[in-house]
Amino acid sequence: MQRITNNMLSSQLLLNINRNSVKMSDMQTQMATGRKINKPSDDPVGITYSLRYRSELSSNEQYQKNVDSSVSWLDYNDTVMSQAGDVVQRIRELTVQAGTGTNPQSSLDSINEEIGELKEQLIDIANSTLNGKYVFNGQKYTDKPFVFPKNEDGTSNTDDLKTVMDQIDQGPVNYTVSAGVSMTVNITSNDVFGNAEDQDNIFNIINNISTALAKGDISSVSAQLDNIDTRSDKMLSVRAEVGAKTNRIELLQNRLSDMETNLTDLQSKTEDADYAQLIMNSQIQENIYNASLSAGAKIISPSLADFLK
Amino acid sequence: MTSTFHSIETAKRSLFTQTAALNTTGHNIANANTEGYTRQRVNMQASIPMEAYGLNRSVSPGQLGTGVEFSSITRIREGFLDGQFRNENTANGSWTTQADALDKLQGIFNEPSDSGIRTVLDNFWNAWSDLSKDPENVTARRIVKENAAALTDALNYMSGQLTNLKQDLTTNVGVKANEVQGYLTSIADLNKSITRIEGLGDDANDLRDQRDLLTDKLSKIINISVQDTDQGYTILMGNETLVEGNEVAVQVNEGDTPEEQGAFLENAFTSGSLTGGEVYGMLYSRENYVNDYSKQMDELANTLANGEIKITLPKGSNLPAGVSVTGVDGSTISGTVAEDTEVIVNGINGLHQLGYTLDGTTTGGLPFFEGGPPITASNIKVNSAILSDPSLIASSLRTTGTGDEEAVVKGNNSLALLMGNLKQTTFLSVDGKRNATVDSYYSSMVGQLGVQAQEATRQSQNSDILLQQSDSSRQSVSGVSLDEEMSEMIKYQHAYSAAARFMTTFDEMLDKLINSTGTVGR
Repeated sequence: MQRITNNMLSSQLLLNINRNSVKMSDMQTQMATGRKINKPSDDPVGITYSLRYRSELSSNEQYQKNVDSSVSWLDYNDTVMSQAGDVVQRIRELTVQAGTGTNPQSSLDSINEEIGELKEQLIDIANSTLNGKYVFNGQKYTDKPFVFPKNEDGTSNTDDLKTVMDQIDQGPVNYTVSAGVSMTVNITSNDVFGNAEDQDNIFNIINNISTALAKGDISSVSAQLDNIDTRSDKMLSVRAEVGAKTNRIELLQNRLSDMETNLTDLQSKTEDADYAQLIMNSQIQENIYNASLSAGAKIISPSLADFLK
Repeated sequence: MTSTFHSIETAKRSLFTQTAALNTTGHNIANANTEGYTRQRVNMQASIPMEAYGLNRSVSPGQLGTGVEFSSITRIREGFLDGQFRNENTANGSWTTQADALDKLQGIFNEPSDSGIRTVLDNFWNAWSDLSKDPENVTARRIVKENAAALTDALNYMSGQLTNLKQDLTTNVGVKANEVQGYLTSIADLNKSITRIEGLGDDANDLRDQRDLLTDKLSKIINISVQDTDQGYTILMGNETLVEGNEVAVQVNEGDTPEEQGAFLENAFTSGSLTGGEVYGMLYSRENYVNDYSKQMDELANTLANGEIKITLPKGSNLPAGVSVTGVDGSTISGTVAEDTEVIVNGINGLHQLGYTLDGTTTGGLPFFEGGPPITASNIKVNSAILSDPSLIASSLRTTGTGDEEAVVKGNNSLALLMGNLKQTTFLSVDGKRNATVDSYYSSMVGQLGVQAQEATRQSQNSDILLQQSDSSRQSVSGVSLDEEMSEMIKYQHAYSAAARFMTTFDEMLDKLINSTGTVGR
């Protein structure tokens, strides 16, 4: 039979109490942080997942920010396109009105005047900025794209369209919207207004209408209707493309937000402590600790000396 | 016939012997809580009996007992258990220090947290992504600059912490060497005293206890083997003799600085004679954990700056004059890129030099990070020119015009996009051995640390228990049990009383004989 000495009892008790308090302190850390992984050794496999989820959440947050910026570009594109569409629609109405053949020159002149105003408005639209960026100047969005020389009466002279439009950049503005996926958020001026040489370049059309109206050449005015229609169609298709992109980005937005939920969920499963379990275990641990203390108190004090007189 | 007073002598011997036993019991009780104390026992034996003398030989039957005497006072101890305890103690010392060092490493890495390397890395990539949305914007550049500086600061800080830990461990070895030397000197002195005392036939019990205690303590610090010789304990560490007789065979802590004082133990670690104990744990942690993580962090920093990466140059990019890159197919690419082209560049530094800055020039970017060579976690810095002028951060891969007319397209964000995407890009380490994203490299490092720390903690907990167990078995043999001593005390007390009573009895007998016999008619 093993001989038991007083010191053995007390050192064993000390070891037990110490081990119990280490466990209690561990649980208290878990309760205080709410996490079961507080240092890598708590769960070496879990920590690599935990780091990945945290990192992916951080990227996800960035993608969401980028997507928000993309959405504001696309929304703005849509707004601008809608304004441009209205202008083209009004030009078409005026062209039809002028082409009826019953207008005196004075009416044609006033129609021409309105056409001139619409041109200025269109130039304004073409020079739209979003957060200080000229949206129709590709990657050179820090520069104003449509800078036309002024006529004496203060109106813009769009006769030498090619020189102006050659300066305009058609480069894509790309935003990263998810891992390895970038999206072009701008639309190019050529897509919207047409190349400088195009018959249906909107400024060419306006110039032609103006010149014809000034001369009273009604047939030439009407001849532009086809061009107006093709341009109008092209503008609509660009707008549809913007709409499609907006849809795509909204899907992406949903996906990113789903992903955020998933990742947070996974992170929580990996890192978070189960409170119910933790509190219960902690209670049990506390009881064990108390028991070891009171058992210790009972074991340690009495010795034969207490019973001998 | 026996002497008249024979039994008085017998009673006296008994009284003396029981007193000696009681004294020893008292000594045991007094030292019940003394560290390293071994209970002692008085070894009693019947004293040499007498022949009852006659003319030639005794005609009386038997021999006449002369009572009791004690031959020695000895310790109750088992050498085997000492050996076992010391082995466990050595293992415990080693694992405890390793667990401690790994715990400190975990503190340095500080993961999972919102302030570790992972977070600053994420912020760095995100800053590039933000810059890609506003490449013409100075504010976005400042954010890239600040986050890059935060990244290098974090790497520098961590590297500094690792160096400090390394230094602490080295210093501690020196301190431990002093402690070892102290124990060795005391053990040699005790060897001398014990040999002297025991040469006279006594048992130097308490000195032996002290020597064993010092040997126990020594076994926590270094691995030792003990040989009990006539000259006392010979203490060896591996093949090196540390103490022989009353001589300390080596000066363990020669020198003035902790580094110098630790040199002997460091050499012993290298030569393989130091294989356990706290000092082994320290040196092992320094060489295998701290150095390793230090190296890995250096590699991470260097790879980030210079490691080979494959990126796709978008169509329409034009490289600065004089800059060329190697395509994945081995071709050399310079000037304007006609199609999307996958090329190999050397890390963030290599990539940054392909792009154009915002400062109005059309020369290529600077290396983004500087330091070294080679770049390490301790010397990595954001290029000082970039720190003082964030417009030198390259974000564009495109210029327009030629000759004097050439101008950077500020809204081109290709380079910023590529930088932001590096988070998902695998970097080939500069030594060509590792191919992984920076994120996964880092998290595998943290995972490895976790495994090592978990293992060391488990081992140290196990060795705590084993140590406790072997101490228990030793205590079970050598420890003082108060209950037992109390019983002994009662036993000896009663023996003493009985001997006294015996003397009284005999006294009364003699009284009868002397004072009450031959008084007939008086």
